[in-house]
Amino acid sequence: MIEIIATAESLEQAEALIDAGADRLYVGGHPFGLRLPKPLSLESIGRISDLVHRRGKKITVACNALMHNEQISALAPYLSQLGKFGVDTVSIGDPGAIFVLRELGLPLNFIYDAGTLVTSAEQVAFWISQGASGAVAARELTLKELIEMQQKLDQPIEVQVYGPTCIHQSGRPLLKNYFKYTGGVEKNDQTLYLRDPKNPDSQYPIFEDTDGTHIFSTDDLSLMGQLKLMRENGLNTWKLDGVLLHGERFVQIVSLFAEARRALESGAFVPESFCNRLVKLQPAHRPLGTGFYLKNPEDVH
Amino acid sequence: MKKIEKKPEVLAPAGNLEKLKMAIRYGADAVYIGGQAFGLRSRAGNFSYEEMSEGVAFAHEHGAKVFVAANMVTHEGDGNGADEFFKTLQSIGVDAVIISDPALIVVCFNAAPGLPIHLSTQASATNYKTLEFWKSIGLERVVLAREVGIEEIREMRRHTDIEIEAFIHGAMCIAYSGRCTLSNHMVNRDANRGGCAQSCRWKYDLFDMDNGEPNSHLRDDEPFSMSAVDLSMLHHLPDMIDAGVNSLKIEGRMKSIHYVSTVSNVYRNAVDAYCSDPVHFVFDPAWDDEIWKVAQRDLSTGFYYGVPTEKEQLFGKARKIPKYTFAAQVLDYDPDTKIATLEQRNNFGVGEEVEFYGPGFAHFKQTVRDLWNEDGEPIDRAPNPMMTVTMTVDAPVEPYFLMRKKSDA
Repeated sequence: MIEIIATAESLEQAEALIDAGADRLYVGGHPFGLRLPKPLSLESIGRISDLVHRRGKKITVACNALMHNEQISALAPYLSQLGKFGVDTVSIGDPGAIFVLRELGLPLNFIYDAGTLVTSAEQVAFWISQGASGAVAARELTLKELIEMQQKLDQPIEVQVYGPTCIHQSGRPLLKNYFKYTGGVEKNDQTLYLRDPKNPDSQYPIFEDTDGTHIFSTDDLSLMGQLKLMRENGLNTWKLDGVLLHGERFVQIVSLFAEARRALESGAFVPESFCNRLVKLQPAHRPLGTGFYLKNPEDVH
Repeated sequence: MKKIEKKPEVLAPAGNLEKLKMAIRYGADAVYIGGQAFGLRSRAGNFSYEEMSEGVAFAHEHGAKVFVAANMVTHEGDGNGADEFFKTLQSIGVDAVIISDPALIVVCFNAAPGLPIHLSTQASATNYKTLEFWKSIGLERVVLAREVGIEEIREMRRHTDIEIEAFIHGAMCIAYSGRCTLSNHMVNRDANRGGCAQSCRWKYDLFDMDNGEPNSHLRDDEPFSMSAVDLSMLHHLPDMIDAGVNSLKIEGRMKSIHYVSTVSNVYRNAVDAYCSDPVHFVFDPAWDDEIWKVAQRDLSTGFYYGVPTEKEQLFGKARKIPKYTFAAQVLDYDPDTKIATLEQRNNFGVGEEVEFYGPGFAHFKQTVRDLWNEDGEPIDRAPNPMMTVTMTVDAPVEPYFLMRKKSDA
């Protein structure tokens, strides 16, 4: 069974995403969740959790920040509250959070989600031995590697099939520092990009929040053309990340992936047609790409 | 009276066997090195098993320890041979391995039970529960992320007794270590498998995109930079030691003998001075002078006293830091004639001001008054790499003393 996971930024969007075919929504808030389309309060998370469950779907709450003492000491009550909401899963990227979860003895599922650090089946096996029910694969892996990983594991490897990917997280306020130095007007509203002067086509989104500064890939990942290959090889947990794409447009893209799933399951999937439709929905300033997925493992070293 | 219960270790980097021996001669209690595989510095001189054995034997003779960094984040297949690797390290007598990848941690536990494991800074440990987690797994020590503050370390120490290692000196990743794949995306080199291209040190254009169109470079004359100055906690060692840090780590497996010997020497002397009498400890400005002789960027306290501001980043033109060059190494000294035998490392000659320094923070300056080649013939300059020369020195020196000179501007 293919599971479609989509980020949600509000109760309204959550409803629309479920209508669009998402099986699981991914939400969270500061200071525990990283890089969300919109950080939500516990109250909002509770409301979305109720909605999701009424609709027979699932919810994962992001607790995947790299936590400092202050955060980790506040995590237990947060997790307890999530437990009361009955959320299905939390995502964890800091082993300290696993330790807290264990101390609480909450029957709360968790997946290991440490961005760049999940790159082999043996690592995932370790986190499963520590209680994880699955893991989120690093975006820097190739499909060849992902398939090998999934074949060795009973638990699902979550693969990002759509959206931008974070390529750098600094604890420093890199934008604020730059603007302070230049005396320029501070700006930080998800419209800023970096370009490597040696590569005129590059445009890396950059923004700052309480977790520091985040830099993203030039391309939005899309595995639309590879969904058949993924399904054939058991890569059935698909994540769509709307961290930089808000509102209705993201819902339409989730809807397209859900339609692609139905087509796949009925044997009517024509990748070219779906890829073309995705291009039409895609914001013009965000090129689509396949990141590392189609590279040879030997090409990156 | 205030007493230091447990003196922390000074931990120095060693890119090769020669640097390992120098670091230990110059006061390091422990060194960390890389093997031929599983490390993160594919371009640093890495140790063969033979060199490791010699390094470990040397270290143990001098009461020092050797840690081997195996801090790569492995992909499928990268871990092949790791069991043999860890077994061999254990049989060589390596004192600990530094790992961040849990898959390698498991392999190491199984292949080399009893070999202590330190969690690499690549894993970005930033809170006490994370330290407790790794302790529960069986790790002996955690190298903290560079993003933690002194107050946070104090709090960690109140909550856990696992050994804490923290950086005190050197260059810093701009990102949380391990959480950066700029190199992967920009040049197809895997930052977490030894290929880091230091893309964070590059200059970028920052631009604003409204309605899908790039509209303006925010400031054309000043490119965006995320590059930062280096770390030095030399002026704050009492804080580090009192906070309960067990190991004071110096960055730089790629750094020179000149750098490693100088920095080890300074921290050895400063740590000893504080620990022997914390109450009457006075900062010696000579430590500061010495550190600046090998500084490559401006220095700051990183995250220890707050999140770095624009003052700790590299914008505009870099401040000019006087540079010193490693000129020669002392091979021998005759106290009767006051003549030292030197091995040349960089061109120097009669009339130049040079500085000798040695273990135990010995140093003195003098002018080169005379110089002879191997055949005892007087010469003006020592131009050839590794040539042996003799000269009269103003104060006693010993083998392994080093001689530096100010670089030409």
